[in-house]
Amino acid sequence: MSPALLENEERCFGGMTFFAQSHPAELCGSNGLPLTPNSITILGKSQFLKTINHPNLCSYLDIIRSKHERTIVVAEYCGKPLASLENLSVDKVIRIAYQCLVGLKYMNKFGLVHSHLSPENILIDKNGTVKLFNFGLYYMTDHGKNVSFPIGYPKYTAPEIFLSSGMRSVKVDSWSLGMIIAECLLGCTLWPGYKLSQSLRKVLSLVHTENSIFERISRENNCFNIYEDLPEDVRAFVNDCLQIYPSQRKTPETLLELPIFQEFLKKDDQDRENSLYENVIQRKMDELYYLWQLAGGDMTIELKRQGLIRSRPPILTIPNLVILLGQMFGRRDIAGLLDLRVVKVSLELLSQRLSHIPYVANYPRLSNHTYAQEPNDLTDTASQLPLIIRERDTEYQFYRIVLFNRLLQIYPITKDAIKREAHKDIPPPVRGAIWAALLGVSGDIQTKYDMIDKETPTHTDRQIEVDIPRCHQYSELLSSGAGHERLQRLLKAWVRDNPHYVYWQGLDSLTAPFLFLNFNNEARAFACLSAFIPKYLHKFFLKDNSAIIQEYLSKFSQIITFHDPQLANHLKSITFVPELFAIPWFLTMFSHVFPIHKILHLWDKLLLGDSSFPLFVGLAILKQLRDFLLASGFNECILLFSDLPEIDIELCVKDSMSMYQKTPSSITYRKHQYDQSKAANWNEPEVGTEKIPRISVEDLIYLVENSPDKVLVVDLRNNIQYERGAIAGSINIPFTSVQLAQDRITSLGPQATPLSENKDRIVVVIGPNDQNSALFAEFLIGCQVFGVCSLQGGIYALRSKASNLLLPARKEKGFF
Amino acid sequence: MASRGTAQRPNGTQGKICQFKLVLLGESAVGKSSLVLRFVKGQFHEYQESTIGAAFLTQTVCLEETTVKFEIWDTAGQERYHSLAPMYYRGAQAAIVVYDITNQDTFTRATTWVKELQRQASPSIVIALAGNKADLGNKRVVEYEEAQAYAEENGLLFMETSAKTAMNVNDIFLAIAKKLPKNEQTGNAGTSGQGRRLVESEGQKPTSGNCCK
Repeated sequence: MSPALLENEERCFGGMTFFAQSHPAELCGSNGLPLTPNSITILGKSQFLKTINHPNLCSYLDIIRSKHERTIVVAEYCGKPLASLENLSVDKVIRIAYQCLVGLKYMNKFGLVHSHLSPENILIDKNGTVKLFNFGLYYMTDHGKNVSFPIGYPKYTAPEIFLSSGMRSVKVDSWSLGMIIAECLLGCTLWPGYKLSQSLRKVLSLVHTENSIFERISRENNCFNIYEDLPEDVRAFVNDCLQIYPSQRKTPETLLELPIFQEFLKKDDQDRENSLYENVIQRKMDELYYLWQLAGGDMTIELKRQGLIRSRPPILTIPNLVILLGQMFGRRDIAGLLDLRVVKVSLELLSQRLSHIPYVANYPRLSNHTYAQEPNDLTDTASQLPLIIRERDTEYQFYRIVLFNRLLQIYPITKDAIKREAHKDIPPPVRGAIWAALLGVSGDIQTKYDMIDKETPTHTDRQIEVDIPRCHQYSELLSSGAGHERLQRLLKAWVRDNPHYVYWQGLDSLTAPFLFLNFNNEARAFACLSAFIPKYLHKFFLKDNSAIIQEYLSKFSQIITFHDPQLANHLKSITFVPELFAIPWFLTMFSHVFPIHKILHLWDKLLLGDSSFPLFVGLAILKQLRDFLLASGFNECILLFSDLPEIDIELCVKDSMSMYQKTPSSITYRKHQYDQSKAANWNEPEVGTEKIPRISVEDLIYLVENSPDKVLVVDLRNNIQYERGAIAGSINIPFTSVQLAQDRITSLGPQATPLSENKDRIVVVIGPNDQNSALFAEFLIGCQVFGVCSLQGGIYALRSKASNLLLPARKEKGFF
Repeated sequence: MASRGTAQRPNGTQGKICQFKLVLLGESAVGKSSLVLRFVKGQFHEYQESTIGAAFLTQTVCLEETTVKFEIWDTAGQERYHSLAPMYYRGAQAAIVVYDITNQDTFTRATTWVKELQRQASPSIVIALAGNKADLGNKRVVEYEEAQAYAEENGLLFMETSAKTAMNVNDIFLAIAKKLPKNEQTGNAGTSGQGRRLVESEGQKPTSGNCCK
């Protein structure tokens, strides 16, 4: 038995924590809103770091915001710190220096400066691979502005940092690396036992060095003899790092061009080529972290256990003096300093949980590239469990993530398989990618997004600006500065890219879920939004969208009538029209109504349906409020919607799905729907004139032929015509015999009994005359008959398209 | 809660309950929803979400003689939702047009709303102008005198308000309540088509409204 995770797993999670600087109380920004807490700013900014993956850098996995502006950082941790290694040979030291430079060069490419290098956060594993830990501290704190502690170890800090307060260049890392390497090569600790102020003075004293700083250091620390024994090129490298003037100092990238590193570079290129064909799947760290959390892992608890987070008596946090303006003096809290300790947590917990899963589970079988076979029936039985449980089940999620990752690798040919699997559920870590796949996003979306002008001011800017700070702001991500900037870019890009449309308030809410899922992939968020709007909100963002909204709401009324005539009758009697409450529902596809975590589950299913699905979501919401609505008058009803009570979203999704599947698609046809292929030749009467929906002949034929027990046909023609030819099993109720003023089915006579007993059959009214059909259908609604619709085109349409269904009816109804 | 201005009637009985439809209009993000929320629930949310379409709330104010129940329609501010506005101000007996004292454009927008109401809404409508965000005095752009002069010219009630500090929020609703005609006919006229009526009741509690809890 081999476990799903490779056994020689040396990787583990490293946790560290620090406090963001808290703002003085009651301080407001220029818009009157409170300042964003620095911990949120850090949270937003640090998201980008999660995208930095390189063999010589420890990936960032999570940034957690805790109480009192505490930030907890979780990153990959591999091997031992350089500080713990002794007696390293010159070759080994150079190899370490080389890998550090490769890591630095990579992060420099993204404008990242480490600025925090020390022997403590240069990690070296069993194979000698170097990884830089916590390389993003300077970046995530906005160049140290959001924290009260200085960033960088005094001893290794480049002198220009002490002399100016500007932004640090990538060359400060060259200096730090030079100092660290010098220490390793000389095999001694520089300035041991020096106090902070002393080592600071030492660094500054180097400014006046005229010759080699490396040489001076070695003399000062009594190891000049070691210095002398070092190869010339090694000394040259350290000297290149330790140049006082940044202008003369090399960047990590140019340092790599030194001859001393050329052999390493060549070997690396070779290795890369060789490994191209090795295809051992090793689960990514972020996946493992996600699963570890599901298995019960919690970094906050680990930090508490190891004493990095300690609750302090509140009295100790009280400052000595608070002036009336809120400024505080004499805080006896040392929390403002950086705690250098790192807590290492092994993957043990997760390995145990997954120990009985064989390694081959990493390779789900896909036949024909499109159909996914389950590795075993575990996932099948589990898929019967409630979603909340499935989403918290480590093993189940492991299988699902593996499967979806596999399918995504060869998307778009797996589009159908992804869709099929998405019907079960979508694992949260891959949701962004899966949604994109469900929306058919493919191609070079990045270039397309980059090409759009997101900068030029437009008339919409003010509106976007005032909407963003109130769009889903309970979400830490979306309320961060980074979140605001990204949302603004997305909205501006969309407005620019859709000149025929305009920004309607609500577009912000609609964009938010896509941004939330693709926080580090704006292009994909944009591509999703761009695909979503035509599919579900075709023409909704026209400057004049009143016709579209009116049609949609009127269809919604029809759907209510179709599925719940009693409720429809009540709402009608109190003139409670959808215009009063449902515009924000449909215009934003409920993203303005629900919090993000509910929208995600709702849209998981929405994306599998067509543009009529939201109508059923609306209906499902009404269904949950049904009892209250039926017992209430206009004011109570509208008040209920102004402050919508808690909706059970899983039930809502389930109800919408079942009603969506039960309703023939022609019932929801709209003139303005995106996919016109089916709606062609569809002559709906003017919007709002008919209260019951129409069904197409094709849908009726399908029902009659495939599930006759689900349909009940009412034929309104006179007896003679009916007996000449009618649908088998239909009821004949000649229109002339109907007393429309009645509101009881029994007034129609005995043949109408199936109508009064109808629970879930679709009642199709067929007449020679649309008007009469509509009148009769409305009569049925008055009698609270479920599932009433009229046949588009009436008996003539049926005759021309399926005359074979019309049989002489004499035998069928012997009671006449 | 003493500052709510909707003092409970000591004996629980009153002569008349008048219902009035009131609509809030104004540019987006001036604080319409916040004013209503402050008035109705005594709350303030820094990140009050934007209103799409409209929201509906009720609140009762007790005057000496009568109890006034406001049915408040809080509308969307974005210019594009303008076409929906008539649906809400039609039949309204009162309107609060809101602007943001830190933004001149919102005041200009408020004046166009006033014009529209004077032209389109019921002729007897009571209009109040509210200069909101008065707590941001140091960022003031619209001068108090300017707005007051405009209000006087047009016969509007005028107050500077702050939904955040609750300044003048109850007062402006109270002032409107006082100015609204309480006789049966005007109270009844033009109510929205939802069967609103003037309720004459002895000892009957208003169905909602926090003040009477």
